[in-house]
Amino acid sequence: MLSPIISILVQATIVSSISFLTVYFLMPWFIRYLIKKGSVVQDYHKSKRPAVPRPAGPILLLGIAISEIILYFLVPDVKILAILLTTVIAFIVGYIDDMRVMPGWFKPVALVVAAVPILVLVAHGSHLNLIFGDSYIPILYLGLILAIIPIAGNTINSIDVLNGVATGIIIISSIPLLISIAIFGDRETLLAGLPMLFSTIALYRYHKIPSKIFPGDSGTLLLGAMYGALAIAGKSEIIGVIALLPAVMNSFLFLSSVKKIVEHRDIKSRPTILTDDFKLAASRSTDAPSTLVRLIVAKGPLSEGQIARRIFTLAIFSSILALITIAIQFYFIKW
Amino acid sequence: MEIIGIFGLVFVMWLMIILVSFFLIVVVAPLHISVFHNTTDRYITSAIQAVFALGIVIALISLLGKMKGRYLKNKLNLP
Repeated sequence: MLSPIISILVQATIVSSISFLTVYFLMPWFIRYLIKKGSVVQDYHKSKRPAVPRPAGPILLLGIAISEIILYFLVPDVKILAILLTTVIAFIVGYIDDMRVMPGWFKPVALVVAAVPILVLVAHGSHLNLIFGDSYIPILYLGLILAIIPIAGNTINSIDVLNGVATGIIIISSIPLLISIAIFGDRETLLAGLPMLFSTIALYRYHKIPSKIFPGDSGTLLLGAMYGALAIAGKSEIIGVIALLPAVMNSFLFLSSVKKIVEHRDIKSRPTILTDDFKLAASRSTDAPSTLVRLIVAKGPLSEGQIARRIFTLAIFSSILALITIAIQFYFIKW
Repeated sequence: MEIIGIFGLVFVMWLMIILVSFFLIVVVAPLHISVFHNTTDRYITSAIQAVFALGIVIALISLLGKMKGRYLKNKLNLP
């Protein structure tokens, strides 16, 4: 009989390894398959505008789903099923958007359905952790859950503007989120969160600059929705928001400037312009929407790699703020 | 230098989240309205708490919008 700590370590190693290895070893085959099928898009930020296959979502989902199903057999907890179902529904919503051009309202509205498994399987609590204490808001919290999943999904979707950024942000932000789940949540949710981290690390290998594959809407929506589902099931909603602040800021900047839910492709005036030496510069147009990238290049043009590094630095900074918040919350709630 | 400005924005957003959380726990959560002395009071209290919480979030969003506008105007010399 294994001791509880050894047992958790064994389960964590199994789910982490399976998710990582599935994505890492199947992705090269899937890249070749997508190229053969002609499922490619141009990378406009490169000089030769290479054709990059898209979407990586199906293999990402496969890695996560296999690990979660195995985890469910090891630790039969309904929260694992709820997180998996939310992720699968978000993937389907994203995959529809990958295959067909859908209107701007489609993703946020359809993602509300992805929140349903959390409600139906009661994978949520009734108290919201608010750093200095928790608040009992049983009815308001249900509405909050229906909002969190679409917001989280679209937040990751809208930061997927440069090579490696969406996956890099998820990797960085997952660390404080998982630490928070370990402290304020439970073992099952923590274990269910590991496949998201490790499959994203494997995907980053192919998504980092220069990208060999793009995650697509199916990849980014499933990651965002899973992040949101983990934050809800792990009683770490506020910590999850703080860890993801650069991406949240990007969504907020965009929405507050265009003042409606609209696809990036439908924006007439682009927030950034491409210079002759393939750097990104801020648009001077007053009609152009505000985005995180536009703020970063406001002082002068930067290359794609330089911008990605600045976004990662911001993500590390917000993750440190999330860790400080965990310490404050631990003092007020756990102590 | 431009990155320091964005760090500042992220830091201010974090401070606002902390302050709002503090306000919700210390001021809004303990609110209790006694009018009818039955379960209706519970609903009235919840409704007032929800209005307070939403009001604070709307104020936060509006403040962040103003900060963003100033930052962009300053950096991009927009009119």
